[in-house]
Amino acid sequence: MNRYGLIGIMLLLFMLEGTIVPWLVPVGFGDRIVPHFVFAFVLFAGLYGSRYMAFGLGIGFGLLQDIVYYGHLMGVHTFLMGLLGYTAGLLAANKRITLVMALAIIGLATFAYDSGVYFIYSVFRISTETYDWAIIDHIAPSLFLQLIFALVFYIPARRWFERIAPRQKSGEEE
Amino acid sequence: MIEVSKHIRNKRLFVLMLGLILFIAVIGFSIADRKNLSWPENFIKDTVGFVQQWFYKPAGYMAGLFEDIRTLRTLREENEQLRQLAAAYARDKAEYNFVRNENERLKKELGFTERQQSLYKYKYMIAQVVAVSPDPYNRTIRINLGSKDGVRTNMAVTSVEGLVGIVSKVSPFHAEVMPLTELDDSSLTSKSIAATIRGREDKSFGIVSSYDDETGMLHMNKIPENDEMTVGDTVITSGFGNVYPRGLTIGTVETVQVGDMGLTKVASVRPAVDFDHLSEVFVVEVPGQEETSE
Repeated sequence: MNRYGLIGIMLLLFMLEGTIVPWLVPVGFGDRIVPHFVFAFVLFAGLYGSRYMAFGLGIGFGLLQDIVYYGHLMGVHTFLMGLLGYTAGLLAANKRITLVMALAIIGLATFAYDSGVYFIYSVFRISTETYDWAIIDHIAPSLFLQLIFALVFYIPARRWFERIAPRQKSGEEE
Repeated sequence: MIEVSKHIRNKRLFVLMLGLILFIAVIGFSIADRKNLSWPENFIKDTVGFVQQWFYKPAGYMAGLFEDIRTLRTLREENEQLRQLAAAYARDKAEYNFVRNENERLKKELGFTERQQSLYKYKYMIAQVVAVSPDPYNRTIRINLGSKDGVRTNMAVTSVEGLVGIVSKVSPFHAEVMPLTELDDSSLTSKSIAATIRGREDKSFGIVSSYDDETGMLHMNKIPENDEMTVGDTVITSGFGNVYPRGLTIGTVETVQVGDMGLTKVASVRPAVDFDHLSEVFVVEVPGQEETSE
């Protein structure tokens, strides 16, 4: 599995998010269970690759999502995926990340991502719901889906990212 | 050593701030009502849409297969109902033909212009759904018709059940549909729908202006006080707003109340369309819409 194979897998996940997943989600839950599979891979890149790789992948795939599904405004996913991918990489630098830690970081980052999307849309007055409602309506159900996805792809994703970016020992600040 | 690390932290903060400013600039640029997309956007949209259609349609077909097996029991009842409905339509069809011919003759005698006569001759273009946006605040639906097929922004999109939304962005081979669930009267970009009641088209009036995510209902306001709207009525578009064509089903009235000021009534409307598993939709082309939409 080289770098291009990994990008290919992420592109495939990006396609699945908008096409197959809406059919698997039961009727009535379409806007409640929202997949963030690509974002999970961006976080894996931060945890087991390097933070620069996570930053690049986050910006790239976020921009792709913003352009392809351009509705009200552009840039939300680019900004949040890039920022959170980089932050996850920063948290994981020079540490051995276990399964539990990885899941905790992915859970927190997904929660922050969905909250960020909510706050940006409410600042620009595109959604007027309360934050409490947003948590119950879609942030929590999406988080569950995300954790299950991360659990399933933990081992292969870890292997792929560690292979293409061997972890540096220490002192890699800049 | 401390100085160096401080310097690096400041640099990181600096980059973050720069990113934030860039991000706000991009949002400010993209939130405006853009008529045309740039060529990189068109290229990416069409390339991705081309791949997406290989996934969405087969998935929908598989899901439909299971759905069919599940609904096998109720099929008989449904068939009976449809047969009765077809008989009723056949009776109405004869009546309709008479009325239409008479109407056309009268229009000709009264000297209607060509444009006025063809105002309500809508063209329905069938489109396949290609993908649905994985973002709860931006549920755009992508369809496989674009500007090369004559799709323009602000065209209405319906399914067999009723109105789905309007076309918001168009690239050469694909278009994005903003569903009714994104209607919001406080938003800058959404467009309200002038509505009426089926069977009392000239007597009822209301404006469907927002969708409430918490209840799943559309909100209809500005209904005149003496309007006889009741629970269970079918709400359709009236075509007065010049964005949506007339006669498309929106939903059914669930509650009717007196509004905040006491001068008008408000109603909540349950959408007729289920926005989740859409596979085929129709883009409604209104003759001469190019002139009116500007």
